[in-house]
Amino acid sequence: MTQGVLIFAFNNEETDYLAMAEWSAGNIRRHLNLPTSVVTNTEYTGTAFDHVIRADAESGGTRYFEDYNSTVTWHNAGRVDAYRLTPYDQTIVLDADYVVASNNLKRLLNANQDFLCHRLAFDLAGQTDMRGLNTFGNYDMPMWWATVMMFRKSNTAQYIFDSMQMVRDNWQHYRDLYNIDRATYRNDFALSIALGIVSGHTMKVDEIPWALASVMPNTQLMRWIDTDSYIITYTDSDQKLKHMSFEGLDFHAMGKKHLGDIVETDRRTRLLDSSN
Amino acid sequence: MIAHARARFDHVAAKRVLKEKYEARMLFALAGGMWQAGPKLLTVLATCPDESAVLLDLYETPVRVDVRELELAAQQRWQEQMNGWLAEHEELRKQR
Repeated sequence: MTQGVLIFAFNNEETDYLAMAEWSAGNIRRHLNLPTSVVTNTEYTGTAFDHVIRADAESGGTRYFEDYNSTVTWHNAGRVDAYRLTPYDQTIVLDADYVVASNNLKRLLNANQDFLCHRLAFDLAGQTDMRGLNTFGNYDMPMWWATVMMFRKSNTAQYIFDSMQMVRDNWQHYRDLYNIDRATYRNDFALSIALGIVSGHTMKVDEIPWALASVMPNTQLMRWIDTDSYIITYTDSDQKLKHMSFEGLDFHAMGKKHLGDIVETDRRTRLLDSSN
Repeated sequence: MIAHARARFDHVAAKRVLKEKYEARMLFALAGGMWQAGPKLLTVLATCPDESAVLLDLYETPVRVDVRELELAAQQRWQEQMNGWLAEHEELRKQR
């Protein structure tokens, strides 16, 4: 049975997601010893990926990113094709901005479940009320995160991705049904609706049994002493500047700019090392 | 960099993050089930008189397990991770 990681990387006006995916593939190899395939519309000639799967960018709309202070196109609507596109029997789908800094994800591959994803996320800085982010729509439906998904080729996983596709293709209908304010399509919402459908609206869904660590866009993220250690700087509720470092912890970098800077610094370091 | 130099280390957040990190590391898969190493699982295993038992895993799936094998794996993981947790906790206490 083949196992691997699949990353969707469609660049937009501000973010080089393909560079992030390439950087992430290195982390994945180091910590998980798994091959990585990328789905992209950008020409790629490097060797970081096991497979480069060409696909058209499908926009889910535009989204304002606080760290860039600008509204950018969000090419996120192709994620529903993960089941069809993956070259592996068992796949971990990761966002390009998910940082692998431990071997935690490896244990998902040993789980007996056909599909797993995160139910809850938490702010590493502890400054954000996550209730609004862990639910969606005006009825506060529980939200499952599409940032990390593990699936096996199976009926259950296929039903979930088929349902996500149905939600995406009829987005306006589901927006009305779940009373979602934002017009922009989000994979997290589509996944949550799909899981509701597939579970018969019992909301009994197998989850990744730990919470998704997240660095919020208003938090500054920097590399700390070692490869897998990071430091975040943020303002607390008393307007005091705080910092906190952590090591060997996977996280979702919701601020793309800071992660992009780390990726670019590493790329330059690698280039310098190879030229010496 | 300047902002970082002015910032104070957030011990409360660091402690909470360590808890999240090490609780996640207590999880492991064995015999087709997913388990959380710790006193609760070890106590349950200590009550099993036979070599083999059927236990509910984290996903509430009944799994037949070799009791001693699971006990050993849980004990090792629990102590390994608790030692790591303590070491990091001690390091963080020194931060300013």
